[in-house]
Amino acid sequence: MASLANRRLARRVVTVVALGVAVFAAPTVTAHGGSLGASARESVTVPTWLFLLTGGAVVGASFLLASFVTDRRLIDDLHGWRATVPFPGRDSLASIARVGGVLGVVGVVSIGYVGPGNGLSNLAILVVWVGWWAGYAMSAYLLGETWSTVNPWRTIAELLPSLDRSLPPMGAWPAVVGLLTLIWIEVVSPLADDPALLSTVVVGYTIVTLAGAVVFGPDRWFDRVDPIAAVFSYYGHVAPVVTASTGIARSDGTQRDDSEEREDANRLTVRPPGVGLTRADIVTDSSDVAFVVALLWSTTYDGLVATPAWESLITPLVEFGVPAHLLYPVALAAGFVGFLGVYRLAARSARSTGETYLAADELARRFAPPLIAIAAGYHLAHYLGYFLSLAPVLATVLTSPLSPPAIVPVFSLPGWFGAIPVASVLAGHLLAIWIAHAAAFDLFPGRLQAIRSQYPFTLVMVAYTMTSLWIVTQPTIQPPFL
Amino acid sequence: MTETQPLDSTTYDVPDDAEPERCPECGRPFVREELVTLHRGQAHGGRLDADEIEAFEDAYEKESERLRLFRLKALIALVILYFGLLMTYALV
Repeated sequence: MASLANRRLARRVVTVVALGVAVFAAPTVTAHGGSLGASARESVTVPTWLFLLTGGAVVGASFLLASFVTDRRLIDDLHGWRATVPFPGRDSLASIARVGGVLGVVGVVSIGYVGPGNGLSNLAILVVWVGWWAGYAMSAYLLGETWSTVNPWRTIAELLPSLDRSLPPMGAWPAVVGLLTLIWIEVVSPLADDPALLSTVVVGYTIVTLAGAVVFGPDRWFDRVDPIAAVFSYYGHVAPVVTASTGIARSDGTQRDDSEEREDANRLTVRPPGVGLTRADIVTDSSDVAFVVALLWSTTYDGLVATPAWESLITPLVEFGVPAHLLYPVALAAGFVGFLGVYRLAARSARSTGETYLAADELARRFAPPLIAIAAGYHLAHYLGYFLSLAPVLATVLTSPLSPPAIVPVFSLPGWFGAIPVASVLAGHLLAIWIAHAAAFDLFPGRLQAIRSQYPFTLVMVAYTMTSLWIVTQPTIQPPFL
Repeated sequence: MTETQPLDSTTYDVPDDAEPERCPECGRPFVREELVTLHRGQAHGGRLDADEIEAFEDAYEKESERLRLFRLKALIALVILYFGLLMTYALV
């Protein structure tokens, strides 16, 4: 969601390095500023079309390979594997995390207003983008979802009285609008350069969130409306550690897992990564499908508006007199509708390739969770390098937030690190192919039927991989006309 | 299998002119009779009599044959994909 703001921050890092400030290794940060584009471009030594073709072929080939696994018992055994590890003091740790979350958000807002005005030395900017949106979000899909515990707004909302109104019957559509709005704000405003503006946005979010939680009750609000809680909860299903929000089925869920994954105060349950996504009740209706697609589209949009192709596309329009500030939200909405349309089209054609009377909506719902794995793969690709190179800055500024040292250490990534983004993009797709394969075997009685139902989804995934790889091979520019 | 899933009107969408084969146990509509047989064996295996179990095993076996053919095709596709890319890389 925030890679654009981060690219701006990354550019500052580059400037700092160019000025000859302390660096751990050779100053190659320029290529690894946290943007996928910069790092991926380095590793491409073949023509772009061949690079794209190979990426598409890897996804297609992995579908063919997955189709060799047709033994339901084997799939169930692989997915049913669980281990428990002792984890004493879980409750007290949760209480500490709650207090820490609240103190953290108070600290971020106040330092954003009173701290240094420069993005790279302001703790608020570093905590939000580097610590939270890059590092902490990774922990949600690599380790386990903890946001439902840490979430400071939830902690505060639970202390407030609640009117406990029921939500209007709009499903997750408000969350979809909320997510797209946050992305729009992030792309068009200098949130990584202006700490005071960042604090104002956080305050605005706080007002909306607490008001909503008071009116509708924290559970309803954070389960259904709050886009950030939804993103973390979806990411948590990719993770190997089962946590509160990803282990127990929702009340309308029907999954068999819940008894064995019930919360135990001093134990943690571990599962193979990604199998949380095979649960049938993660995505409950078509508005949830829209949210998952919005999550995926937002990563693409983020990259797209920073390509020269986007600039040459909108330059004639802007010269014609169309305001640029209108073009960005229009493109955001149009792209989302387009993505959703293509996905629903794939679901509809899966009805005929899979020879089934299952409704297109039902197929779209059941095959949406794999898209979360893809989104997580892209997130890792965008942010791992960015997080590692800026983590020392965060640690240094954390020791003296109000008067940070003039020299901040930036960790310079080794050259081979450029392969990591491409690898994580592909890993996300491979996991998605496998999860979709397992979901198909859960849904259809025939084995060939299950494989054939995946044709349209695989085609869409191949096309999507190639599109995203095309975006990451484009040079990254400042989004034009802002 | 999906025996535990609630069967509501939005889950299935049967066209008006279609004549679905329905599962006698749970009423789920299927496009072909073979799929009903496979579904019954997997979802309601405990409630089938000997003939029905035999029918399921036959259907499963028949499907396995077609699956073998499919695997062969998939293998050929993989080989073509692999060597196609290999050649392309050698040429450019």
